[in-house]
Order: sequence, then structure tokens, then C-alpha cells
Amino acid sequence: MKGPLSLRLPEPLYQRLMAHLFPGDGDEHGAMIAAGICETERGTRLLARELFLAQDGADYVPGERGYRALTARFVAEHAGYCGDEQLCYLAVHNHAGCGQVQFSNDDLASHERGYPALLDITNGGPVGALVFNQDAAAGDIWLRDGERQVVDEVVIIGRRIRYLYPAPLSSRMAVERMYDRHARLFGDLGQQRLQALKAGIIGAGGVGSLVNQQLAHLGVGHIVVIDPERVDLTNLPRVVGATRWDARAFLTNRRRLRLQQIGARFAQHKVKIAQRLARRANPSVRFEAIVGDVVDTENAARLIDADVLFLAADSMQSRRVFNALVFQYLIPGFQMGAKVVVEKTTRQVDDIFTVERPVMPYSNGGCLLCNGLILSDRLRDEAVSPAQRAAQRYVEDDEVRQPSVITLNAITASQAVNDMLLMVTGLFDATVNLDYRRYEAQSRSVQVMGIRRSDPRCLDCGQGHRSRLGRGDRARLPCRVSQ
Amino acid sequence: MAGLTPEVEEAVAELRAAFSQNEVEVEPDNAGGAYVLVRDLPLGDQYRPARSWIGFQITFQYPHADVYPHFTDPTLARTDNQALGQGFARTKWHGRDVTQISRRSNQWNPAEDTAAIKLAKVLQWIVNQ
Repeated sequence: MKGPLSLRLPEPLYQRLMAHLFPGDGDEHGAMIAAGICETERGTRLLARELFLAQDGADYVPGERGYRALTARFVAEHAGYCGDEQLCYLAVHNHAGCGQVQFSNDDLASHERGYPALLDITNGGPVGALVFNQDAAAGDIWLRDGERQVVDEVVIIGRRIRYLYPAPLSSRMAVERMYDRHARLFGDLGQQRLQALKAGIIGAGGVGSLVNQQLAHLGVGHIVVIDPERVDLTNLPRVVGATRWDARAFLTNRRRLRLQQIGARFAQHKVKIAQRLARRANPSVRFEAIVGDVVDTENAARLIDADVLFLAADSMQSRRVFNALVFQYLIPGFQMGAKVVVEKTTRQVDDIFTVERPVMPYSNGGCLLCNGLILSDRLRDEAVSPAQRAAQRYVEDDEVRQPSVITLNAITASQAVNDMLLMVTGLFDATVNLDYRRYEAQSRSVQVMGIRRSDPRCLDCGQGHRSRLGRGDRARLPCRVSQ
Repeated sequence: MAGLTPEVEEAVAELRAAFSQNEVEVEPDNAGGAYVLVRDLPLGDQYRPARSWIGFQITFQYPHADVYPHFTDPTLARTDNQALGQGFARTKWHGRDVTQISRRSNQWNPAEDTAAIKLAKVLQWIVNQ
């Protein structure tokens, strides 16, 4: 297991757990979490997928050696389930108090007695235990090779992202003076959260370039941008940071087709422009510029340990991969778009709008699949070659030259980045509504897109056997297979 | 089969089980999907030939991607000499002349719909024309 170890808990699961552990009786209670896992160079994340509450007196009873214990039947049943589902078994109980929490000696002794066998039952786990009080959490995780590791951080993924530790963090570094005005809004800690953040941006065009610019100015420490395209002369009014030199305008702005083609071939990649812009705003940013398509496995893999994702690409395939990343790896995401609808024959402008769709990694969190925003026919159409599409006469590529302006792109990009900022720094109202928002530019009206649907059978956000929710590395992303 | 996603492999296995009396040919599409050809299917006595193959591509984002269109014998014709009608078209697919059968699923549900169910529905539709 690599680097720091964290546990990610979706907010609704955490709320159910807290209600069970702290019903107001001051006593201890037990539960079990089945979790997926994500291992990368940034560390290891346990991803809470399912919560099983132990019933007092039946599943959680007075212990022979300690105060309370999960019954052997409860443990065997749920460890077997984790083994079958390739999930990690995490026993949970609570202690009283607040501020800091740790396992008792009885707790640790019970782990030593039981966890070697549980590792066998669960096909190598990892397995482990978590102890919570009202505002702290600690974990003792056992690995296949006999190693043990503490849980460094518990992250609650919700409207306000919260962090729990075994004890309050003592040392805080002062942030750079350049961020003084930020710190006055969300404190040094808020700025440090941004600096520790890894943000993934899918698409570096009109919307994505603005998202990148704002993240870099906010001081986000690690940015990954994925886009296969080179900048085009007609992109210059919208791709922030792009120059006429990037677009090789001295060639692409000529009448001769051959010169245009040469210019297009040597124009700068959009992700390289994003990288240059980000480094100007924040020279210490770690920036990964990936020339490629997120639909390819090796590119999508660069986003699995992100803390937040932004989807600024038009394709249905990108939406499919983005949605899968959100739910499989428990990463909050934002899908953005701006559209000008033009009547095909009269060329009259029918509608001008932007949308911003937060997608949170839990049921009713805004799954794009459940809300009918990933179309099965367009997924199929995008998977076949343009020649095949033309032969089959199913698709008109009318999206390619739709009208587009930077002001509309900026509305949706700013809304998404601002929502992320308030989420990460804990400045959202506790009951804030994360419904989709649509801004109608001509009437200056904002529509809340209604109650978000969630299908319990959904293969992304549902909890059925086939669902990818929280499985992390133990499921496959819906990407092209590398040959 | 090498080169297929597990979901496409599962779809192929289900097709082989559901159409166990028919030869099922599978060729990877190099992205994780597959070109599939199911031979000797009954299209109905109103057609010439009355039995033929049906081909289609299962793309790598299956089961979220719909499975359509389907393709069959390029010489397919009605025995009453009427036109084949809406939903049929002559085209090329995977390097061969074919008759295309256009049956897109507007309510495709990845949790329930499969390539085998879709083929059965397409076959039923052809027979009922």
C-alpha cells in the first residue's frame, strides 16, 4: 500500500452512520462498511460503498474481553460478502467525547486476534477497523502482507467536504502572502486545502480553459487537463491564453488550403496553452498536460485520484467516462455547457443558455445516467468511425460549428468553480441545494432543473451487484481497451 | 476472447447461449467491442432469402451504448416484389454490401437490455413486416 491512507465517505452514508452511532444514549454502537480501494502514487484511498448497521443486542453485544463486540455471525456474514464482492471489510464503532479518538487496548487486541483470519476470508482485504467520535476518526488497517497502516484522514464527500483526523492537526503553515485576500474569506486552512487539491479537467476548449485559469488563480496545487485537440484560429476568441502564434495564424489565416493544413498540423495543443497559463498564475502548480482522449484507459487513469473533476467536453463518451469516475472513485464532479440554439433554415437564434450540473457520488447526487443525459444511441454513434456513421446516415455533425462566445462559457465555468470552492472550503450553507442550474441568457433567468432522479438499478450510482459505485480499482472504467 | 471488454464478452456469451442453434462469428473491433454475425436466422417467408445472417457491432461502451443498426444480406427482397419499406436501406458495413435494418432503442436500459434481447426484437420486427 502506497503513501498516506484515507477513507472517503459519501455524506448520506456518513449521516446514517452518525445517527446510528450517536442516537443520544451515550453508549457504544457498531456497524460495518464495505469499501473499494484506489491505489496511486498520491496514496491509498478506501472508498466507502455500503453501510451495514449492527443491531444492538443482536449483532453488537457485550464482549467477552471488551465492552462490546460484533457477533461472530455478523462478522462472518459480512466478511464473506466482502470476499464475494472483492471489497474491503471495515468494522466500525464509536467512543464518547470529541476532539480526538483512539482505539482502546481491548480494541487493538481484538484486531490482532481476528484480522489475520478475516484477511483470508476476504481474499486479502484489506480489512480493518474504524473508531469515530463526534468530530474525530481513527483507523487500523490490515494488509495481506502482514503490514498494518493507520488511517491518516477521513474525508466526507458532500456539500461541505469535511476532514476528520484522530486528533486536531497541530502545525499549520502560513500561506503565501499573494493569497492574503483569499485567506480573509476562507482562512489559511482553506487556502491549504486548495493547495492540496488535485483537480481534473476534461476538455481544454472554451469552457475548460476558463476553469483551468480560475483554478490556477485560486492556487489549486495540482491540475490535470486532458484534451486531444490543437488550437484553431476560430478558437482564439474563447480559449483563454491562446495566441495567434499558437494557432499558427500566419499559415492558417491564408487562402491556400495547403498552408492552412500545414498550420493546423503544427498549431499548439490546447493542453499546452492551459499549462502555460496555469504556470503564469501559479508558478508552483503541478500541471499534467495530457494530449489525448479521456475515453482511452491510460488517460482516464490519470484522474482516478483527483479530488474534483470538471467536464468541459461535448462528447457523450466523455460524459460516460466522467460519470463513471465520479461514482467509481467517489470524486465530486461538475459538468458544464453553454449552447446557442439556432433554427436550421432561418438561422434565427431560438435559445441561449448555459447549464451547470454538480454530480455528487451518491444516490440522488445528480447521476448523468439516471437523469437521461448519457444517450445510448449517441454513445454508439461516437464509437464507430465517421465513415461508418456517414454510411449509416444516423448522425449529422451539427455540433461542430455551433455559435459560441466566451461570456456564456464564463458563466458556466465560474459557477462550477465557485461551487467547488465553497464545497472544499466549507462555505456552502449546510442545506444548500446542488440541483442542476440552467441560466437563460435572453431572459436573465435561472432555472433549477427540478428533483434529480436516481434509479436504484443504475450501474453507476445504484448499489446493486453490478454497480460500479465506490469499487475503485476493483471495477473497470468504461474506456476503450488499449490494444 | 482477447481484446473484448468483459461486458462485451458477456454479451457474446449470452448471444451464443440464446442462439445456440446458430453459428455466431465474433471479430474484435480493436477498441474493446466486437463485430458479430449470427448465421441462418429465420427472416420470414415473405422475404427472399427466407433465412440469412444478421450482423451488428457491439461497441466498447456496451451495455450503456445501444446496439444498432443491424445488417443482413444485400440481396434481401420481398417475395411480393414490394419495396422493403421504412427501416431498411442498402449500404456498406464492415467492408461488405449489406441491407441495413435501422431499429434504434429510444428507451435502452443498460441494466436490462442486452445484445441478445435486441437481436431477438429486431428479428421479431423483420418477421412482422
